Amino acid sequence: MYPLLAAAVLAGALVGRRAWLRAGLRGVTGMVVGALAGFVGPLAVMNPIRSCTFDDERGGVDRALGILLFAGGAALAVGLAVWIVNAVARPAGPRAARDITFERGSFRGHRFFPFGLLAPTLVILVLFLYRPMVETFRLSTHEVRTTAPRQPFVCLDKYTRLMEPTIEWWAIGPAALLAVVLVANVVLARRGAVAPSLRKIRDLLVVLVVVAWATAVFGARYRGVFTTTLVLTTGTVVLSLALGLAIATLVSQKIRGRGVYRTLLIWPYAISPPIAGILFYVMFDPLVGIIGNVWETLTPFEMPNYRTEKWLARFVVILASVWKTIGFSILFYVAGLQNVPTDTLEAAQIDGAGPLQRFRHIVIPALAPITFFLIISNVTYAFFEVFATTTYLTTGGPSGATTDVMFALVQAATEQGNFGDGAAQSVILFAMVLAVTGWQFRSTGRRVTYGR
Amino acid sequence: MHTRTQGPALIAVGLLVAASGALTGAGASAQTTSAEVTGIGVSIAFTDYRLDWMNERAREFEEAHPEYEISVQGFDDYEALLQSVTLAAQQGDPPAIAQYFEVATQEARDAVNSEGEPLFASVEAAIDGRTEILGEPVVLDDIVTAVADYYTIDGEFSSMPWNTSSTLFYGNASIMEAAGIDAAPETWAEVEAACDAIMALDDAPSACITWPNHGWFFEQSIAQQGGLLANNDNGRAGRADEVQLDSSEMLSFVEYWKSLADAGHYVYSGTQRDWDYTTNSFVAQEVAFILTSSGDGTALVTDGAEAGFDVVASRMPYNGDADYAGNLIGGATLWLVNGLSPEQSDGALAFMQFVNNPENAASWHRETNYIPITNSAIALLEEEGWFAENPYASVATDQLALADGSPAARGALLGGFVQIRDIMTLAMEDVLVSEADPAERFEQASAEAQEALESYNSLYAEE
Repeated sequence: MYPLLAAAVLAGALVGRRAWLRAGLRGVTGMVVGALAGFVGPLAVMNPIRSCTFDDERGGVDRALGILLFAGGAALAVGLAVWIVNAVARPAGPRAARDITFERGSFRGHRFFPFGLLAPTLVILVLFLYRPMVETFRLSTHEVRTTAPRQPFVCLDKYTRLMEPTIEWWAIGPAALLAVVLVANVVLARRGAVAPSLRKIRDLLVVLVVVAWATAVFGARYRGVFTTTLVLTTGTVVLSLALGLAIATLVSQKIRGRGVYRTLLIWPYAISPPIAGILFYVMFDPLVGIIGNVWETLTPFEMPNYRTEKWLARFVVILASVWKTIGFSILFYVAGLQNVPTDTLEAAQIDGAGPLQRFRHIVIPALAPITFFLIISNVTYAFFEVFATTTYLTTGGPSGATTDVMFALVQAATEQGNFGDGAAQSVILFAMVLAVTGWQFRSTGRRVTYGR
Repeated sequence: MHTRTQGPALIAVGLLVAASGALTGAGASAQTTSAEVTGIGVSIAFTDYRLDWMNERAREFEEAHPEYEISVQGFDDYEALLQSVTLAAQQGDPPAIAQYFEVATQEARDAVNSEGEPLFASVEAAIDGRTEILGEPVVLDDIVTAVADYYTIDGEFSSMPWNTSSTLFYGNASIMEAAGIDAAPETWAEVEAACDAIMALDDAPSACITWPNHGWFFEQSIAQQGGLLANNDNGRAGRADEVQLDSSEMLSFVEYWKSLADAGHYVYSGTQRDWDYTTNSFVAQEVAFILTSSGDGTALVTDGAEAGFDVVASRMPYNGDADYAGNLIGGATLWLVNGLSPEQSDGALAFMQFVNNPENAASWHRETNYIPITNSAIALLEEEGWFAENPYASVATDQLALADGSPAARGALLGGFVQIRDIMTLAMEDVLVSEADPAERFEQASAEAQEALESYNSLYAEE
């Protein structure tokens, strides 16, 4: 562990020096602060788990996780230091902080009153959000059952139990491609040429590599769960947005009774997810379901049984989720379509752009902020609410085909009473949500332009 | 600003909130002991007519013993019940009696309250050799042998069994007659032959047989063949620390199940632990045979009559190639919470004996078709001619009487049994739906179950 600590301290010192110099302050201060952050950060992270990942009897995966945590702690601490220095070193310099007075605004004259008003919200956040979060991290490193006399500390076993990294061709392939693209990018940049399409390919490849490597890290038990979550989430989000936009476009035209149509289209959103599950359970029932009946009347094919066909089970779950949540997307898209700049559309029409081109190049970019927001809310829905639909529709699906991360962790914690496992899987879900949100903010957030 | 009208409105709302808070706070807790009445809390994992039955017995007991007040609380499932009891114990206010299901017996024995004391006390020890408690005759020694064998651990009869069932085979008499099957099949080979005959009919049902994909059926089949699920005599000679899901007995059962499915005789509902699908398919005559709990007997016979066919109940078919050792019980038992005062303890014990006295046990059987839990109750029902009128009612009791008392027939005592059952059913689903190889898949399941057991034991076993 000590070589790692030394490396963290060194890295912290270097980064700190650079940040301080950039902020216009002395580099030596930066080195010291950075080194301190690089020392304190990892220790703060490793202390609660007593650095157990570096014990002798631990395997490679434990050590890898330990190194990851180490690096994460160091990055957080150093990042915090850099952020503070950037905030302080604004053009006005540190004096700007001293100039903050309480002479303007609604709370003039009252220095601590705002904090009093914020206090109830903060208390509730701490009690019901932050403390349980910290408690979840703690529970994920212990063996916990409600009736047990003790809670033994098991280090990161609950995580390593799910992780059995294997080398797969579908993980190596995209990584190799990404390496090629990165090299190509660097070479082109040296030569001064700019290739925006290459950058898009690079971004796409980065996403692919992250997803493929994450899947390859998980072992046989959890890989299926992870893949199912990806499939269900992608299916729900893509279908919901695409169909939502299509329907919103249709309903935005000046047809009679469009107000009624809009209301009817949004209605399913008021249903709770389990009800959607029950409705589709009955509709797709292999013996008495109406869908099977209609399908077999209209086509010469037999309707497969979604309770024993994995691909159909996933499709039906996605269908039920999309049906339930599409109202939300339609609502926002209808509002957004009303705000598309008509003068740009007219100009494009005069220039000879066809309707499809107008749609692709003007309408869709104008809807970018809404799309960005809808992606995040649909992903949240897909992660957290689809589980309710799945419970009633397939109960985890034929052979785990519709067992997503949320379903697996609810089963572990409440049905089997194993809170340690449930907590560890919660943390994995948390990491997934962070990753998706971070990616969204980075990729789409950059392209979002608010206003004209 | 509407300060003038806001003020009085706010005060009114505040008073309303305070009043409702006071009212809810004044709600009776589970255990209150005033000078006259001792309160006994009973937690039951039923919310239907079975809870009503328990409530009626509570009122009758209160009439006979006015110094006690029984408050029965129903729960949706056993997990919710145990969590509620545990948390109530942590707060120092637990109920006196808690119903918990059979395979969680190891967990119930291991459970501790917040002081580190066992959560439940042994019923036999609390009775302490008395033959009568508060005038209620003790019936613990009259419990049917198979049931007593299950719940007696280390020679100590630690809980009071209440609702017990066994797995039965139900057949559609009309379809059986049409296919020329005189007697219900008793062995696996006979089941296959019967299914061949039935599926060859012109108006054959969609499938021949179904049963829920639930851990109980695996345990039953292993027990029938004399196989063990865990070491240390199925966990009865000492704490089980090894579980084996790929024994030859298990694989025989899995392969028999798979062969029925491959032949199109067995239809899988598609979801694990789906009891409703089984009974619904049978009543709708989509299948000719089902395996399900004896507790569904009355409902099946009634619904079948309404649908126009007779229902025949018989023993669960067993492996003809192995020596029959016995079938297991299912259901739940009443545990006595530890740390009660002598009045509460006596009251709780008396109530337990009252609920299982011959008349009440017979009434419970008649209403629900759980087996009559004491020999006196069986005798009473025979006298009444109940079994002569309802032949399906005695099958479970007769089947349980065939058990030979070996560790296999007594059933396994394992920690983390719910998780292990989930592992079994998922493995079977993989075999049925994803064409997984039984031996490989159940070997993997065995390793998973072993891990689950080791996590459980790390919490409770002596170090």
